[in-house]
Amino acid sequence: MPQSELRRDRVLEMLPQPISSAALEEILSISKAELVGQDGDQITVSVTPDRLDLLSEGGLGLYLQGATEAAKGTLRVRELEEPAGALSIDVDPSVAALRPAIAGVVVVAPPGRGLDAGHLEEAVRFQELLHATVGRGRRAASLGIYPIERLVPPFRYALEAFDDVRFVPLDGSEEVTAERFFSEHPLAQQYGSFGRLDRRCLTLRDSRGLILSLPPILNGRTGGEARIGDRRLLLESTGLSERTVREIVGLLLVTFASRGWTVAPVEIRAGGATLSDGRSVYSSRSVDLPSETLRSLAGRSYPASEVEHRLARSRLSARPHSGGWAVEAPPWRPDLLTGVDVAEDVILSSALEPRDGLLPPSASRGRRRPETVFRRRVATTLLGLGLAAPYTSVLVSESAVTRLRGAPPIRLRNPPSQEFAFLRDRLLLSHLEVLAHNTRNGYPQSIGEVGPVVVADTAAESGGRTRYRAGALIARESAGFADAAALVEYVLRTVDIVSVRESAELPGTIPGRAARVRVAGDLVAELGEVHPQVLSEIGVPVPVAWAELDLTALYPLLGGRDSD
Amino acid sequence: MPDASEGASDGAAPLTLSGPERSVLLALRANDGPAIAEEELGTHLGLPLDQLRGTLQRLRAKHLATAEEEHEASLELTPRGEEAVRRGLPERRFLAALETHGGVLTPDDAGTIGLDEEERSAAVGILRRRGFLEPGVPFRLRSGGAPTDSLLPEEIVLKQVAGEEEDIDEAISAALERRGLVRTERRSTRRWSVSEEGRRLPLAASDAEALGALTPTLLTSGAWKERPFRPYDVRAAVPFLTGARPNRYAAWLEEFEEILVGLGFEQAEGPLLETEFWNNDVLFMPQDHPARSIHDALSVERVEGHPPPADLLARVAAAHEGRPLPGESSPIGPGWGGAYDPAVAARPVLRSQTTPVSARFLARRPTPPFRMFSLDRNFRREEVDARHGIEFTQCEGIVGEEGITIRHLVGMFGALAEAIGIRELKIRPSYFPFTEPSIEGYVRHPRLGWIEIFPGGIFRPEVCRPLGVEVPVAAWGIGIGRLALVALGLNDLRELFDDDLGRLRGGGT
Repeated sequence: MPQSELRRDRVLEMLPQPISSAALEEILSISKAELVGQDGDQITVSVTPDRLDLLSEGGLGLYLQGATEAAKGTLRVRELEEPAGALSIDVDPSVAALRPAIAGVVVVAPPGRGLDAGHLEEAVRFQELLHATVGRGRRAASLGIYPIERLVPPFRYALEAFDDVRFVPLDGSEEVTAERFFSEHPLAQQYGSFGRLDRRCLTLRDSRGLILSLPPILNGRTGGEARIGDRRLLLESTGLSERTVREIVGLLLVTFASRGWTVAPVEIRAGGATLSDGRSVYSSRSVDLPSETLRSLAGRSYPASEVEHRLARSRLSARPHSGGWAVEAPPWRPDLLTGVDVAEDVILSSALEPRDGLLPPSASRGRRRPETVFRRRVATTLLGLGLAAPYTSVLVSESAVTRLRGAPPIRLRNPPSQEFAFLRDRLLLSHLEVLAHNTRNGYPQSIGEVGPVVVADTAAESGGRTRYRAGALIARESAGFADAAALVEYVLRTVDIVSVRESAELPGTIPGRAARVRVAGDLVAELGEVHPQVLSEIGVPVPVAWAELDLTALYPLLGGRDSD
Repeated sequence: MPDASEGASDGAAPLTLSGPERSVLLALRANDGPAIAEEELGTHLGLPLDQLRGTLQRLRAKHLATAEEEHEASLELTPRGEEAVRRGLPERRFLAALETHGGVLTPDDAGTIGLDEEERSAAVGILRRRGFLEPGVPFRLRSGGAPTDSLLPEEIVLKQVAGEEEDIDEAISAALERRGLVRTERRSTRRWSVSEEGRRLPLAASDAEALGALTPTLLTSGAWKERPFRPYDVRAAVPFLTGARPNRYAAWLEEFEEILVGLGFEQAEGPLLETEFWNNDVLFMPQDHPARSIHDALSVERVEGHPPPADLLARVAAAHEGRPLPGESSPIGPGWGGAYDPAVAARPVLRSQTTPVSARFLARRPTPPFRMFSLDRNFRREEVDARHGIEFTQCEGIVGEEGITIRHLVGMFGALAEAIGIRELKIRPSYFPFTEPSIEGYVRHPRLGWIEIFPGGIFRPEVCRPLGVEVPVAAWGIGIGRLALVALGLNDLRELFDDDLGRLRGGGT
C-alpha cells in the first residue's frame, strides 16, 4: 500500500483545534488511510491505492475537517478571473507518437500569501509520490510545477531535434545540450526513454523559447524552478492518456486548493484549435448516486439526511433528486467513477460491525468438485502405500529442468530468479528436488504427491493447460521398474481400470526401462527407473523408481466429467 | 512400497541362549550365597577364564546377569628389582667396593666396580643423602657411618616385595617405583550373580527343543503344541520404521474446504496459466494497472493465447472504454478512458489471483443463486520472504443472488472466522479494482495482534454486467497461506512448501 511521511503540524493546522494522536488514529481507523508510525512531528500514513489524496497534508487535512465536522461538503476550487484570458499550451503534432497527452492548471496564492517552504516541500514530495503511483514511474504521467510569473505564455509542447535543445537543468549551473543531458544526467538515464525518440526529445517552452522542462525528466532551472514566495504557479502533466494526466494534476491540486489557492484554466490547443478549455482539470464532476444502488449495496435504508450528512463528512456535497443524489466529486477524487463508488463513502463512513453481518438469504448445498474428490482419493491411496506426501511448487528451477535433458516445459519470460524459471510439466521435476534435499535423511525414501502441472497446448485458451498428476518416487536399494509398474497397476486397480504398458524413451530414465501406460489408447501414466546420471547429480546413492499418473486424463475414463 | 518393508522382522529378537550361556546361567541361579568370583565360577564349571568372561558378558547384555567389580593393587619387582635382589642394590655394591678399596674410591676406580654410570650416580647420591660418604672426590667412607652388616631400608622393602609381604613402607616403595625397581600391579575382580530376569527366565531342558519363529508349518502341523517357545529379548533394537502421514498444509487446506462446503459453497477450479482477459480485463482492471506490469505479473515465453468469445470481449471492451454494452443505450460508467486493446486480452499470464475462477464461473453460469469457492495456487513476481511467496494459495469465494449486500459479506467473514476458531473480527475500508465497496476483515490473533485475513467486496457493475450477471455478487479472496501459518503455528510461508522427509514420514530421522 502506498505510504508517505507527512508533517503533522501542516495537517493539524487545517483544523480549528488540534487533536490528539489517539484521536487521529481513531478517526483514520475507519478511513482508507492508516496511521502506521509517528516520529516527532512526522507521521507515517499508508492509504489504499484509490485514495492517494490522503497522502498529502492538504488532502488529509480536508478529510479530517470533515471527520471532525470542522468543514463539510465538497471543497469547490475557486476560479480566478483572468483578465487577459486563459493561458494556453500549444501541442505540436510531433508528440503524438511518444507522449501525446498534456494538461495543466494555474494556481494562484490567496492575497498576501505566497508559496512557503513547508508548502513547497509538501508539493514536491507529493509530486514524486504521484510519479511513482499514478504516473507508473513517470511512464504513464509526470508532473511539473513552474513559476508562471517568470514565464511568458503561451507555452508550446513539442518533440524537438537534439541540436535545437540547450538548457540549464534544475539541479545544474551551466547550460547543456540535449545530447549531453541525455547521455550524462542520472534522471535522463532513468526516464530518458519516456521523453526521447531517437535524437529528438520532448520540450515544454514558453513563447520566448525558454525551456520549462524536458518532460518527463527534469525542469529547466530558469523556467522551471518554483521558489519560496512564488504566487502563481503552473501545474502541468504530460503522459500517455488524457485521463491520467487530468487525474494526476487533479490530485496535485489538492495541496493548493486545500490552502485556499485559486485556479485559472490552461487551454490545450493544437493547430489553432482548442482541444480543451482546461476547466475539466479542476472542475468538480457530478456522480449520480441512485438511492436504490445505495440500499442494495448497504443492505439497509438510510434517511436522506443521513446520506447527505455522511457524504458531507466525507467532503462530498450531494444534491438530492427524485431517484437519489447528484454528488459533487472534486478533481482529487478520481476514484469516484459511478454510484457504487459514492455509495462506498456512505456505507463505510461509519464502522461496519461484525454484528451487522447477515447470512445469505437462500440456503444452498455445498459440494466439492467430483474431480477434486477423485484426486484426493488417489492421494489417500498413495499415502496408504506409505509414500510420504510433500507439498511442492509448480514453478521449478532451471537446473531441475536441464537435469532431465528432455524437451523443456513452459519457461517464464520474466522469472524472479532461476529457482522459479519454468512451469513444471511433470511432478518428477519437483520430486527429484525433494530427494536431492533429503540425501541425509536415510533410505529407503518413498514420496507421493498429487499436484498440478502446466503443459503447453495450442488448443488451450491461454496456450497452456493445467493438468493434475499423481507422482511417486521410490528410492531404496532394491527399487526398480517393477516397483513403479506395480504402483501404477495398483492405483488403476483401485478404480477398476485395466491398462497396457508400452516401452517408451522418457526423459531422465534408463533407456529400455521406461514405459507409457495407456487405457483404451489414452495415455494415463508414465514410469521408469531414474537414470543413474540424474541420481549422481542429485547425490542419491540408491536406485529410484518413478511413476506418474495423469489424473486429468484418467478421470473422464471413469465416467467423470469436468464440472468447470 | 512402504519404507517399512525394508529389513522388517517377524517380531522382537528371540532370546536365544548358547550352551555355555545356559550352563553359566544355571550355575549362577544355583548359587545361593554372595556374588561369585569369575575364577571360582570358572573352576566350578571347568571353563577357561577367557571363555567364561565372554559368556558372562553376553548374559549381562541380555539382562540376565549382573556384575560387581572389585579393584586391588599390589607391588611387584621389575626385572631390575629382581637383579637388585639377586646382586644387591647399587648403593650396597658401591659400599662393598669402598670396603674392598680401603674406604677410598677414585672416580677411575669407581668405573670398574660393575655399576653402570646411572647406577653409580644413584648409589653415590643415596649414600651421600644418608651421610655415609664424605663430600667431594675421591669417594670416602665417612667413619662410623657405614652399615656393613645391617640392611638398608630399601633392601628391606625389596625383600618384602619379593616375599609378597604386606604393610610395606609406602614412601620407600614409591621411591623404588620411581627408580624402576618395583611396580604397582592393579587387578580387578568381577563377582557375578543372576538378575531378576535371569532367575525368572524359563529354561527348556535343552535349547534345541525350544521353538524360534512361529512358522506356517508349525501352525498347520500343530507342532507348536509340543515344545516351548524360545523367549525374545524384548529390549533388543528393532528396524527403524518410517511411514507417511498427510501433509500438514494439504490437510489443513482440505479442512478449510470442508468448512466452505459446510457453508453451502460449491467448488470450482480454473487454469493456472490464464489470459490477461480473464486475469485482469474481465475484472475491470485497467490495462495500464501497475499490477499488470512485467514487474508484478509473471508471463511466459513461446506460448500464444487466444481471445475470449467475441461477444464477451466486446462487452468487456465497452465497460473499459465507458461505452454502452452492445444493445444498451447508456454506459455502466465512465470506464478507464482511452482505447481497450484486444491484443492484450489474449496474452498468457500466470494467474495472479483466484478471482478469474469466479469470473469464469459467472460467465458459465450467470443465473443466480450461486455460492462458489476456489482454493488454489496463484503466482506473483514478489520478493520471497517470510510473508511473501511467488507461488501462493488463495481462497476465492462468491455469493450472488438478489438481495446480497455488504452485510452478507461481513456475515460470511464472521462465519468463516468462527469456523476456524477466531471470535474477534473487525472491518476496515479497503480497495480492490473490481469490488465496490471494498472491505478488509481483520481478526485478532493471540500472538500477532490484528491481522488482515478477509479482503472482499461487492463486484462492480463493470465486472458483473458484461458477464451477464444481474444480481449483486459478494466476493472475497483470502490469502490462505497466512491463515495457515496461524493455524499451524508456523512463521514463514516457505515452510508450507514442505519436502523434509524427516517430518513428512513422521517419527524423526
